[in-house]
Amino acid sequence: MLNKQLERIISAGIDIGTSTTKLVISEFSLMNVAGGGQVPKIEITDKKVLYRSPIFRTPLLSDTVIDIPAVQRIVESEYHHAGITMEKIQTGAVIITGETATKQNAEEMVHQLSKAAGEFLVAAAGPDLEGIIAAKGSGAYQHSIETRKTIANIDIGGGTANIAVYRSGTLCGTCTLHIGGRLMEWEGAEMKVAPSIEQWLKTKGYSPSKENRGIITDEMAKVLARFLDNSYTKEDEQLLVGKVPSWTGRIEGLMFSGGVSDCMYHEELMCTSFQDIGMTLATSIKENKELAYWEWEKPVETIRATVLGAGTHTTEISGATIEVNDSHLPVRNIPVYRIDFQGVLEQGIEGMTKAVQDAITIYDPQREGQNFAFYLTNLPYLSFRDIQLLTFAFTEALKQKPNQQQPLIIVMDSDYGKVLGQTLLASQPDQPVICIDQTQVEHGDYLDIGRLLRSGVVPVVVKTLTFHN
Amino acid sequence: MGINEPFNKEELEDLITKTPARIGIGRAGTRPRTDSWLKFRFDHAAAVDAVYGDVSEVLLKRLDLFKVKTRASDKEVYLRRPDYGRKLSDEAKQMIEAKCIKGPMVQIIISDGLSSKAVEENVEDVYLSFKQSLLRANLDVGTPFYIEKGRVAVMDDVGEILRPKVIVLLIGERPGLVSAESLSAYFCYEPRLGTIEAERMVISNIHKGGIPPVEAGAHLGTVIQKILKYQASGMSLVKKENEEEKSTGSA
Repeated sequence: MLNKQLERIISAGIDIGTSTTKLVISEFSLMNVAGGGQVPKIEITDKKVLYRSPIFRTPLLSDTVIDIPAVQRIVESEYHHAGITMEKIQTGAVIITGETATKQNAEEMVHQLSKAAGEFLVAAAGPDLEGIIAAKGSGAYQHSIETRKTIANIDIGGGTANIAVYRSGTLCGTCTLHIGGRLMEWEGAEMKVAPSIEQWLKTKGYSPSKENRGIITDEMAKVLARFLDNSYTKEDEQLLVGKVPSWTGRIEGLMFSGGVSDCMYHEELMCTSFQDIGMTLATSIKENKELAYWEWEKPVETIRATVLGAGTHTTEISGATIEVNDSHLPVRNIPVYRIDFQGVLEQGIEGMTKAVQDAITIYDPQREGQNFAFYLTNLPYLSFRDIQLLTFAFTEALKQKPNQQQPLIIVMDSDYGKVLGQTLLASQPDQPVICIDQTQVEHGDYLDIGRLLRSGVVPVVVKTLTFHN
Repeated sequence: MGINEPFNKEELEDLITKTPARIGIGRAGTRPRTDSWLKFRFDHAAAVDAVYGDVSEVLLKRLDLFKVKTRASDKEVYLRRPDYGRKLSDEAKQMIEAKCIKGPMVQIIISDGLSSKAVEENVEDVYLSFKQSLLRANLDVGTPFYIEKGRVAVMDDVGEILRPKVIVLLIGERPGLVSAESLSAYFCYEPRLGTIEAERMVISNIHKGGIPPVEAGAHLGTVIQKILKYQASGMSLVKKENEEEKSTGSA
């Protein structure tokens, strides 16, 4: 009760980007931050980076295929350099970013690594998550909290620019553009243009040559500025990956991270080794008048922003009073079905049967037994009888599930995890339960839940697992 | 919010959500506004009511608890003489002796303490959820009962009569202006006459605006298991835990 036990866990972050691959190993300190006489509250109180790998070129077998064994060799040798074995790693994330995510074997890569790189949690990124993770690694997220300002982090790598906008620590929106340092590269005199920008170049009437590269990157910088202040044109939309910007309101400051930012701030001076437009793009951005209109904040990390974000900002910690069956953990890639109670218990209970039915239809249409998690949100204050009613409704509704042996996974934002878990077990002792609380997820998110830690909490990684086809 | 034209409305609203204290309530000249003043008076009155109120027979019946008294004959005496609240009356001792299972693993007792309102509002949910978690841990539970006008250390008297391994006392906390219905759970391993306060431990702040009573109840079961594992509570438990940690070298 009174002693402040400390627990340390090791987290790995691996970022496999369009041009480069890198890895970080960090250590988290977990501590009970609740006072004596309180129910424990475990938080990550400190994060320390133990090891940063050098920047590797992402190994490719061809334009469309990642060299998986070569990536694995990098990971193994870097673990060795870090003095760490994969059994020690308890959490972390693999992020496949930019153009690499569109490679044929991107998904296979993630699955391979999750087996070979340790018993840790794996997040394969979609462009939104990429931007969010980069904003956390670059320091933009933290800066927005400290200054209470609206900050856009623009992470420009080889293939894409991922924008994430934070206001006082709250995500306002994301946007991804085909703007990157490796979209045009040359071998000798021969110019190679990425298919993603061919149409745009054609519309603009630019012929892709080494001489024209300055004009092209200048225009890219202008497009970026127009997306940031929501004045983009139909033509500009050709550079859009996915949806248009989702934030509203004015951006007050910009932060640049990623490989191109490294060229802007000359931190590692490695840009010259690439025969591509990275350096030119960096210059265009620095000299662009529209972008200069905003205040620029210097990032804490440039080229390693995403990998640091992956290694240190993807793991959350569940509430301390939970009910989990550790022999069924870890679980990975569990889709989330949200049940909104809107503050009324009866409303949630009435919709329970339909919710389970819906969840099966969406996530397990072939009834093969793909498991999913229920996210209970906006729960009212619950008495013990309410918990029993909820349990009864759940058990009844779950009879529709094709595989009854599967653990029942429940996540909630309020603090009822342990009692609901125990009540479910009291009513059905053979049904394994994973019931965690004080964790926020969204409908359609995917969830990884790690093994039970000594402090009585589980690490959780919330992610959007979308490979853009 | 009582401020008509705040300099930064969003920020103030954010701050107000972070504390139950009366901030951002504005003022009328040099005095509080009528609304805030009435609210203050209301909360104060609720605190007084909580101290002077009684736990209803209906609740005791529903939870199947019999009632015994301490040596504090009425509320005024109870407030002035805390030592009386720590001692069971002679009738109480006889009744407990007659009605309760002796030597259980876990003995649950409930007392109004300084807030009958805390018991009235929260004890049922804590109790039911707690009993469920004890059942799941397969622990045998003694005959629970209610002590009127009790103080925390009254558990020592109960310990002498029933000799349980652990006593859990659910008792109303001294009411404040934020909440008049906060409940505490006090634990002690083998409480007996002469038990010192450092051997007791507590989980406090159990109410609707604090730790949800049902969740607290589920957690109490875990605490009991820990106490039984180490055969200690309070500072002794902390000491034993730390020793174990050192010997396993896991810290």
